[in-house]
Amino acid sequence: MTLRQTPLDDVGRAGSAMSPAVDDQQLVGRIAAGDQTALRALYGRHQGRVFRFVLRLVRQDAIAEELTNEVFLEVWRHAGTFQGKASASTWLLSIAHHRAVSSLRKRREESWNEETAAEIADTDDDPEVVAQKADKGALLRRAMQQLSPEHREIVDLVYYHEMSIAEVSEVVGIPENTVKTRMFYARKRLSELLKAAGVDRGWP
Amino acid sequence: MSDDMTAAAEREEIEMLLPWYVSGRLAADDRARVESHLARDAGLRHQLALIRAEQQEAIAVNEALRTPAAGALDRLMASLPPRQPSLAERLGLSALNQKVADFFAAPTVRGVRFAAVAAALLLLVQAAVITTLVVRGDGGATYQTASGQNDDKGISALVVFAEDARLPAISRLLADLDATIVDGPKPGGVYKVRVRTSDRSDAARDALLRRFAERRDVVRSVLPAGD
Repeated sequence: MTLRQTPLDDVGRAGSAMSPAVDDQQLVGRIAAGDQTALRALYGRHQGRVFRFVLRLVRQDAIAEELTNEVFLEVWRHAGTFQGKASASTWLLSIAHHRAVSSLRKRREESWNEETAAEIADTDDDPEVVAQKADKGALLRRAMQQLSPEHREIVDLVYYHEMSIAEVSEVVGIPENTVKTRMFYARKRLSELLKAAGVDRGWP
Repeated sequence: MSDDMTAAAEREEIEMLLPWYVSGRLAADDRARVESHLARDAGLRHQLALIRAEQQEAIAVNEALRTPAAGALDRLMASLPPRQPSLAERLGLSALNQKVADFFAAPTVRGVRFAAVAAALLLLVQAAVITTLVVRGDGGATYQTASGQNDDKGISALVVFAEDARLPAISRLLADLDATIVDGPKPGGVYKVRVRTSDRSDAARDALLRRFAERRDVVRSVLPAGD
């Protein structure tokens, strides 16, 4: 079951000069030939997906916008190298991943593979926490925000972007077995964070 | 490995596949394996419920985020660097020719590139020699270059366009001279062009070659061609 309010691919977005019948691969081919209208159409389809993916990693709107711009600039420059073995969205998120990781490492504000957020305090006398405990969904969302960027990324790629194991492997640049174990440990970490907040999920 | 260990490893593998089972992104055989375990393992069914809740909240977290600000697309378009089309693009070559051009343009072992360039030059020299023989009619030859059939109208030339020549400039030159590309590219990037004219004298032919040769911004070299 999915609860998306807006589609990830905004094919019908106003202002797009492309017919939805034109697939992403054709658009990339036209971009490789210097067609700016095709770039506009590809941007219209994927900007939301790319921006949100990057924003979840870098957590700053301005930086996410800048990186999203860089992703599509890279598409403009290197569309000719796209071979169509993976989908265009996998290619875009792969570029976005590398840009975001590079940005995080440069900023040094947040280590790529370590959590920096404080764990949820189990303070029963805090009215906010008491209220949140009544809403396990809110606690789960809060725990997700506290995962390391590495774990947040894989959770988003699997649950929100609905990518297969092979696609996640392509985007993140890790073996498929590592994709599976990383997702497993991200989920275990969610349980630990929730347990620290007083919610025992009964797993692991 | 004991049966217990095998079963534990199999269960762990299934456990790791559950998120993709929920998102519907498992291959059919893996999906069947997962369903087989779910049917007999209450612990896995409990995890499945947790994963569904996780997915629902992950979607909620992402959907709560905004999308790029208005004007972001305009800023992107304004920042696009000019693309330098390849030589093949400038000359409007076919997809096959593009692949050939890409092959020669691709960074590769230096020796291989050198050999490719040498081979192309050799073919160009051969083409020029054969063409010259035909133009002169040496030996009373009755054969013709491989440059194609003629329509007996106008005079022809073999042209290699400058590497940095852009397609609009080439088009303008051809239009100025009332010329059309009738064949090519041949090895070495040689094109055969024909100029429509009723004057097929040697003087007219020389004048034509000079006019092409003067345009060094567009034409790298020009040779006479058999008409």
